[in-house]
Amino acid sequence: MSGSGERVLLLIGSPKGPERGNSARVGGMVVERLEGRGWTSEALHLHAAVRTEDAQRELFEAIDRASVVLFACPLYVDSLPAPAIRAIELISEHRRSGTVSHIPRFVALLNCAFVEPSQNDTCQRILQRFADRSGFQWLTGVSLGGGGRTPKRVHEAFDILAEALDLEILVPGEVDRLTRKPIMPSRLYVLGGNFMWRRWARRNGVGSRLRDRPYERVDS
Amino acid sequence: MRKRATILDGGLDDGALTRCAGRIVSDVLHNGGWHVESLALREIDVAPCLGCFGCWVKTPGVCVIDDAGRDIARRMAQSDLLIYLTPLTFGGYSSELKKALDRSIPNLSPLFRLVHGEVHHVKRYARNPKVVGIGVRATGPIDPDEEELFETLVHRNGINLHAPKDAACVITAEEDEDVVRRRIEGAIGTVIGS
Repeated sequence: MSGSGERVLLLIGSPKGPERGNSARVGGMVVERLEGRGWTSEALHLHAAVRTEDAQRELFEAIDRASVVLFACPLYVDSLPAPAIRAIELISEHRRSGTVSHIPRFVALLNCAFVEPSQNDTCQRILQRFADRSGFQWLTGVSLGGGGRTPKRVHEAFDILAEALDLEILVPGEVDRLTRKPIMPSRLYVLGGNFMWRRWARRNGVGSRLRDRPYERVDS
Repeated sequence: MRKRATILDGGLDDGALTRCAGRIVSDVLHNGGWHVESLALREIDVAPCLGCFGCWVKTPGVCVIDDAGRDIARRMAQSDLLIYLTPLTFGGYSSELKKALDRSIPNLSPLFRLVHGEVHHVKRYARNPKVVGIGVRATGPIDPDEEELFETLVHRNGINLHAPKDAACVITAEEDEDVVRRRIEGAIGTVIGS
């Protein structure tokens, strides 16, 4: 165990920020495991971190202090949410400016609302290119589906991931094997998801308007 | 009725990197008889998507944020062709383009369905725009891995957004304008017919 002196920086890319949302929750699960091994931690909300120059400077400095950057983000339209893309644009520009020598390790932790974790694959490739070209050591990309639900096997995967980070060894393929399987069959997810959406809309009094077409073209 | 194309220009800073490509896209489409609107997204104040799902379960089809993002989503829904014009950002979209795409999810239904065994959202509108992605690389030659990644991203978007056809191309700022024009004509021709 490498233990003391190691620091993990949790970057939260969800608009819901550090208090709620799946990205903060699942990222926090990995951070807790590292803290249990004597690591210190820091968390930043990327949407806030890109707004001002002071906040951007804090972001760059936090990266310089980190042994591991854990980039936890939801999938929006097959990619990162816009403010998270702004963050990687700024981080890359800063780190390629020639003044940075520290190379933190980088783990991407993506979650999507579809049941298949594989729907994060394109975004994982984008993040790997970012890490490789911006002065990070890419370790792995962990993908969760089902809105970031975490069955027991995902907890096991996080145990293995945290141990690998702490021991500074390659992340075992077991992490990918444990997280890559959908939490339920796709057909079941469609049924359950549609029940949930309809109930949510009914509670807001718009159950009959789910298929509204406010921007329908008049010439169609 | 003339077909409508909307160029979503995701150029950063002063937009110099995407300006030439945007002009060529407009030329190609105007010559084909299209009505073209170009939106320089960097000049439009659009708040980030909140991820609240209000556009699905509170005000179906309309974002709960009352700003220019609503107008962009409306234009997207009413287009026959969308051009995603973007500086390549590690093989993906720029933050400026993405701020518009994130705010376009009201144009989908929240309900799920299976597409080739994979979960996606049900379409909200009967007719949806075709999509062409044009990624602009600032320096150096085209990187085949980056090009393939960008094409994959545009195609994945095409599936999610119910685009009847999609295509993508990568160009570099260092290429001759004739080469750039041929690439753009090729990508647009793939989806609208040349």
